[in-house]
Amino acid sequence: MSAWTLCVDFGTAYSKAAAAPRNAWSRFDPASVRPLMIGGVQETGNAFLLESAVFVDDDRILFGRAAMARAEEAGRKRMALRSFKTLLSVSDLDRALNTSAPASVDPHRIFQMRDLIVLYLAYLLSAVDAAAAYDPMVREATSIERRYAAPAWRSGDSAGMHQSIVQLFGEAETLRHAVGDQILEPEGVPLSVVSDLLPKAMAAPAPYEMGLIFEATAAAAYTSIGLPDSGAHLIVIDMGAGTTDIAALARSGARLSELPEARVTLKQAGDFIDSVIANIVLTNSRWAKTQAQQTELWRAVQRHMRDIKEAVFEEGRATLRHDGRMISVQMRDIERDRDFKEFMKGLANAYQFGLDVLRDDVMARGRTEIQAIAVGGGAAAPFIRELIKKTKARGNTRVTPRPATPDWAHAREFRGNLAPVFPQLAISIGGALAPEQMLAAQGGVNPRANVQTSRPPARD
Amino acid sequence: MPAVKAKPGRPKKSAAPKRAASRASLADALGQAAWAEADAALAEALALCDEATSGAKDEDQAALLDLLSQSLARAARKRGFTRIGALGAKEAFDKKRHDFTNPPKRMPKTVRIVARGVARAGETLVKTRVGPVRRTGKK
Repeated sequence: MSAWTLCVDFGTAYSKAAAAPRNAWSRFDPASVRPLMIGGVQETGNAFLLESAVFVDDDRILFGRAAMARAEEAGRKRMALRSFKTLLSVSDLDRALNTSAPASVDPHRIFQMRDLIVLYLAYLLSAVDAAAAYDPMVREATSIERRYAAPAWRSGDSAGMHQSIVQLFGEAETLRHAVGDQILEPEGVPLSVVSDLLPKAMAAPAPYEMGLIFEATAAAAYTSIGLPDSGAHLIVIDMGAGTTDIAALARSGARLSELPEARVTLKQAGDFIDSVIANIVLTNSRWAKTQAQQTELWRAVQRHMRDIKEAVFEEGRATLRHDGRMISVQMRDIERDRDFKEFMKGLANAYQFGLDVLRDDVMARGRTEIQAIAVGGGAAAPFIRELIKKTKARGNTRVTPRPATPDWAHAREFRGNLAPVFPQLAISIGGALAPEQMLAAQGGVNPRANVQTSRPPARD
Repeated sequence: MPAVKAKPGRPKKSAAPKRAASRASLADALGQAAWAEADAALAEALALCDEATSGAKDEDQAALLDLLSQSLARAARKRGFTRIGALGAKEAFDKKRHDFTNPPKRMPKTVRIVARGVARAGETLVKTRVGPVRRTGKK
């Protein structure tokens, strides 16, 4: 078991990585799934999560949790660069990369977004290497195939976008070797060192082999692996921070193909739900009359948003204390919101559309079942779970909801410790488990599965 | 990227990972990660408990109990606890799954859930607490 696959998921707030033996798909053993402790390079917090953040300080560049802590100290006019995933999934990637970082991120006005992403990737690759070397199984690997997970790109040019991303990884690889272990220190790297080494790394990127797996495919992989009756057809609702994506996937043997005509992307997602909740809080807080009070309250809600959403989704209500006052938000307040209702209507239509397209493929292949799964931050939302539970496919096709955390994550060897963190690590785990045939691109140039549109369905 | 003037660097420390000293199993490391997030919620719950029991006004006390319950629920989620049953639901009595809050003299066939049970990793940590089904009075 010396050949391994390692997948990195640079999420909006946190990056994650996991490894699995390369033959995991055909000989699955839950005990061989290895989430990596890439957050172990930080001194506190969850060791499996690495904060996706870069902070440009007066004379140093800080990364991860240290970057977030420094940004908090530095006040309102300064911020850390985050949301690399959002940036990397825009349709005009080159343009986005060549944009100068805003003054709030880079007060020196010397960095382009590309520079900061390469710096973060150098930090991430170093953290991944340190975590892989620490893992008793992964460090014995004789070869490691690397992958990264990304949302499906809306430009459709997966191979071209992939090449650009791999180029960034190549530059980051050169940079991290030049900087050394210093990059993992909480003190970060002096600006003078970055200023010297970054242009050299960009001029001479290391050759870098990496595969691309779409997030929906990774979700399908961890959902269906090891199931004797793993479905040939899956529909995935992926509600992230910036977008909600519906993807339909058809499997034939180890090959998993997306039906591109079924893909729908809605611009409302987690951030939209956040603003609905924040607006409800403001409306319910009549005491907040001045602009300053409202701004302060808005910020307080955003700071606690993750906890508020978890409580509202699980218990139907959340309470927040601000400035000595108790403020309550209920799920039914959200359901009554006009914008939310519009969003739900659009989501239900998009989901039904995806099911209809998938059903045609189900019929053509002589199958009868579609498996449905929710992933991303929205997987726990009651309205998403309800949508999956209640929406039927037309005709005789059966829709079977699959749990957001697969049964194998409850395996005895994890002693109940994987399941609570599984939703956060899921995409990196699925990306490591997926067979090569599920990749969207490899090595920067070769387009693979998930991008074809015209292959007629074959009965299986 | 334009060049920036060099400034004297700080002395180097040893390389990360910082917490690599422990050789705990993956399951233990995952457990520790969950605890890292649950700890903050439990600490908050303890502080709220003091506030709620140290002379808060009635209306404040209700809100503080809400916050306390929220913090405990958050800690429980991070640790992978699940609730068993639904508050107020009626179920056939099963002594393996149910505990009475106030044991009756005669065992009823049907009971009402007054506190949900708690499970983790398939193991019941606290049985569902039940009471008698109240009969609606005839008019």
